[in-house]
Amino acid sequence: MTSLVSARNVSKHYGSVRALDRVSFDVEKGRILGLIGPNGAGKTTLLKAILGLTDCQGELSVLGFDPFRERKQLMQNISFIADVAVLPRWIRVDQLLDFVTAIHPRFSRARAQSVLARTKVPPRAKVRALSKGMVTQLHLSIITAIDAELLVLDEPTLGLDILFRKEFYANLLDDYFDEERTILVTTHQVEEVENLLTDVMFINDGRIVLEAAMEALPERYVELMTSGENAERARQLNPIFERDVFGKKVLTFEGVARERLRGLGELRTPGIADLFVAKIKGAAA
Amino acid sequence: MIANQLPLLRRELWEHRAIYVTPLVIGLLIALMAITGQATISANHHVVELALWGAAYMEEAQRAAMITAMTFGIAGLLALAMLALAVFYCLDALYAERKDRSILFWRSMPVTDAETVVSKLVTALFVIPLVTCAVTFATHLVVLATASAWMAVHGANPWDLLWSTAPLGEIWLATLAFFIGMPLWLSPFAGWFLLVSAWTRRSPLLLGFLPIVVLPMLEKSLIGSRVLADAFFQRSVEMPLFRGLGAGPFMLRGDALLEGDALSSGILSRLDVAGFVTSPGLWLGLLACALLTAGAIWLRRYRDDS
Repeated sequence: MTSLVSARNVSKHYGSVRALDRVSFDVEKGRILGLIGPNGAGKTTLLKAILGLTDCQGELSVLGFDPFRERKQLMQNISFIADVAVLPRWIRVDQLLDFVTAIHPRFSRARAQSVLARTKVPPRAKVRALSKGMVTQLHLSIITAIDAELLVLDEPTLGLDILFRKEFYANLLDDYFDEERTILVTTHQVEEVENLLTDVMFINDGRIVLEAAMEALPERYVELMTSGENAERARQLNPIFERDVFGKKVLTFEGVARERLRGLGELRTPGIADLFVAKIKGAAA
Repeated sequence: MIANQLPLLRRELWEHRAIYVTPLVIGLLIALMAITGQATISANHHVVELALWGAAYMEEAQRAAMITAMTFGIAGLLALAMLALAVFYCLDALYAERKDRSILFWRSMPVTDAETVVSKLVTALFVIPLVTCAVTFATHLVVLATASAWMAVHGANPWDLLWSTAPLGEIWLATLAFFIGMPLWLSPFAGWFLLVSAWTRRSPLLLGFLPIVVLPMLEKSLIGSRVLADAFFQRSVEMPLFRGLGAGPFMLRGDALLEGDALSSGILSRLDVAGFVTSPGLWLGLLACALLTAGAIWLRRYRDDS
């Protein structure tokens, strides 16, 4: 396994604000990593550092490059959407394709056009005349037509309707993703990417609070739905978080064997969204 | 570095259609002015006769000088519009992309910040002037053609009066030299406006001009010297490209052109390429431009706007 992204003690300060605090992690080839965190957690800063858009302290290597100092080489093997709807408004769709074709050695115009053909984006329209959803479709069609080793998506489906969102992720998995590619995605619509991810990373206050492969989650985390006395007994096992659902208690445990909870109520593996709330709120409590 | 320049320059033309629309509109206005001027004269046949008589009795060299003055007047008007265009272009070049956040898209492409900023400088110093130069040539031809038609209508021979004596080759060579030399001479301003464009968060126009106006005033009132005033203003009224004509970068000074023999020996005899390329002012200006551009590149690369 080769590390595509390798971070060691990466920190970034904005004045006295610490956006990233000694973050260390690795992303391996062929993985789809979901980066999840509340607003202002440092997600965007981390992505910007990975994309070479901002400098940072510590060691950061992306595809073997120093992203900030070797940005051009990096950009040939990486594609990203750093923010939705940032396509220049004055450009025409065909001009945009002309430009990327001329500039990017790994861009396939045919591929982008075949994706666009499935949308309602007029081939010669100006970006200004497109709806927000169409701008995103256009942007995504370009980004996914780049034969990149690493694809970084920062809130890629913001502002899109649910049909397109579903379709986008399905296409991403079916047409785009293979074992040679790696995807890094951040989103607030966690449920939609849950089944897509191979790895998940939670970030809060500039620190990584969870980093795990999806298949490792059932072993590490378990949710118990219970009430009354059983809840009291379960609390002895130090749940990381507790919440009420329809009059019942839902307790989230980390590193507690399921055998010890059996008989106390219903057991299940928490979803990413619930786990996220448990980790972030549990840590704050 | 070079391979990316063509698509980057084409990009600038897509975004800033004013680069060719502005000179075309000005050229068209000049042609219209020529036509209305001729129509006005035509109303009075005494004036027509006088004009044709005067033209016919002029010496060839004088006639050539008149035509040269007229063509350079046209070039000057277009150059003036071009300067305004180039200033607005530079101020917008690195500002608009930050304002609408499209810089994030541009920076997702495998293009360095240096390549991008250089493409914008090249647009300001070469593309805009050369497009304006081409439109100037076209305007010359249109104005000469309408003048020919006017002469023919009034019974004069345009070939004898105009075309046989118009030193068009010389004029166009000098015009081309002018449109290449003037931007280089004024390049520190381009560098400065690009720097402001990369730096400011608001009102680039104001911030671009304020220091140019205020700093020399401050210097004068505080220290009493006028080093900055000379550096800024001297450069915009004096360019050592046309010997003895007191040619400013805007245009050949009108009075110098109308002096009887100023142009009688031909405009090319005034063109002083060697003097221009060896003048310290040119190289100091280019150095200042390089430093300011480097500053703009540095800002685009290192400033984190989040």
